[in-house]
Amino acid sequence: MIMPRGHQLLLPANPLFVAFTLVMALLINMLVNISLVGNAAWMPDFLALVLVFWCVHQPRIVGIGIAFFLGVATDVHQSALLGQHALSYTALGFLAAVIERRLLWFTVPSQAMQVLPLFLAAHAMELVVRMMSGALFPGWTIFLAPVLEAVLWPVMSVILLAPQRRAPDPDATRPL
Amino acid sequence: MPLGTLDRSPPAFFKQGPSAVSKLLLFSALSVLLMVADVRFGVTQPLRSVLSVFLYPVQWLAMRPQVLAESSSDYFETRDAAQAAERVLRQQLLVQAKRSGQVEQLALENRQLRELLGLRDRLDSSGFVAEVLYDAADPYTRKLIIDKGLTQGVKASAPVMDEFGILGQVTQVLPLVSEVTLVTDREHSIPVLNTRTGARGVAYGESGGAPLLELRFMATNADIEVGDLLSTSGVDGIYPPGVPVAKVTKVERRAETAFARILCEPLGHVQGARHVMVLTPLNEHTPPRPQIEKPQPMANAKGGRR
Repeated sequence: MIMPRGHQLLLPANPLFVAFTLVMALLINMLVNISLVGNAAWMPDFLALVLVFWCVHQPRIVGIGIAFFLGVATDVHQSALLGQHALSYTALGFLAAVIERRLLWFTVPSQAMQVLPLFLAAHAMELVVRMMSGALFPGWTIFLAPVLEAVLWPVMSVILLAPQRRAPDPDATRPL
Repeated sequence: MPLGTLDRSPPAFFKQGPSAVSKLLLFSALSVLLMVADVRFGVTQPLRSVLSVFLYPVQWLAMRPQVLAESSSDYFETRDAAQAAERVLRQQLLVQAKRSGQVEQLALENRQLRELLGLRDRLDSSGFVAEVLYDAADPYTRKLIIDKGLTQGVKASAPVMDEFGILGQVTQVLPLVSEVTLVTDREHSIPVLNTRTGARGVAYGESGGAPLLELRFMATNADIEVGDLLSTSGVDGIYPPGVPVAKVTKVERRAETAFARILCEPLGHVQGARHVMVLTPLNEHTPPRPQIEKPQPMANAKGGRR
């Protein structure tokens, strides 16, 4: 198999773990909103981050459909315009599918630079949609959110790939 | 198939499903459909209700740390009895705040001898106390989520106040929670009365982003000063009259415009309210509008021509 030099061979991802992390990301988004900051435009969207991560790393498990439904759930929680996050997450899922084959050949900091335009596009799309529907401009701090999301990408890479980095269990595939 | 994993299932060569572009088109079309249905036609309420019920367990879980932090900070100084007493007192305070806010309006009315004009009996609206769960995370609007919903009998368009003044209005009722649009939201407007002069006006949420209100369409030479108190005027048929709304903080008179720019600070704690009171909208007490009789066609009135 062709793979980048010096990379560790990872264990297969557990779909249950993927689903768990997506729900946890939604929970963290809510937690940040409820307990910490109220509504802050600069707050990074953890769900978008985890979603793009799995769209890139496990495109056979997480795709555009799941992104859309998580977007609708986010809209209902935030009591935002229904479909706003659904649209931006759909676009994120698609863009992640476009760069998925290329991205993993880079080192993790370079990957962060490569996903920054994705998050920027997603936030810009939400902003344009809301401005068109006549909402309040939330301030320029909203452009801090995609940067923070890109900065968190290496952290997420470590956390979300940790279960796959365990040593393989020889008993699981022993022929006898 | 991701790079460099020990995945033992072969990738699907032929059953790839629909392409990414077709999925993108389908789901973006769905999102646009949802947005149009939400903004233009306002028909997404059932969908929101159903989804919010499914989402509630996760929200409940997300609220736990805050609830835990609050209860543990109370633990050392107070116990259940003190907490219950405080809750009762808070509810009483809310009820009294609404009454005391009406005093100023009453004084003005007395001075103007309005009761001699045979004014109808003052409307007294009832309400119940709710707790603020969290600020809505949407940074484009100013909204609160409260813990009473359709199952507790909240009605859309019900006014919401705290012990200091009007906070806003219920705009979306979901089964377990409801959404309150604050007076500082750009889309929100409230008819007000200057308690010093008796002049009526309409206050809108300020569009600049700061949590302020703007009293629009007041003439440049209107008698309004910094420090004037604005209370609800009651002409809208929703808010009870005489509840404090805002205090004028800045009056800007410019020669080139016909209207003064008047900024007001809301009196209700729009950013830190814990307990709020949801009032019954006034229009439930007022009698329905009389039916306007349709003018009969002349031919019918006269028996018609045969």
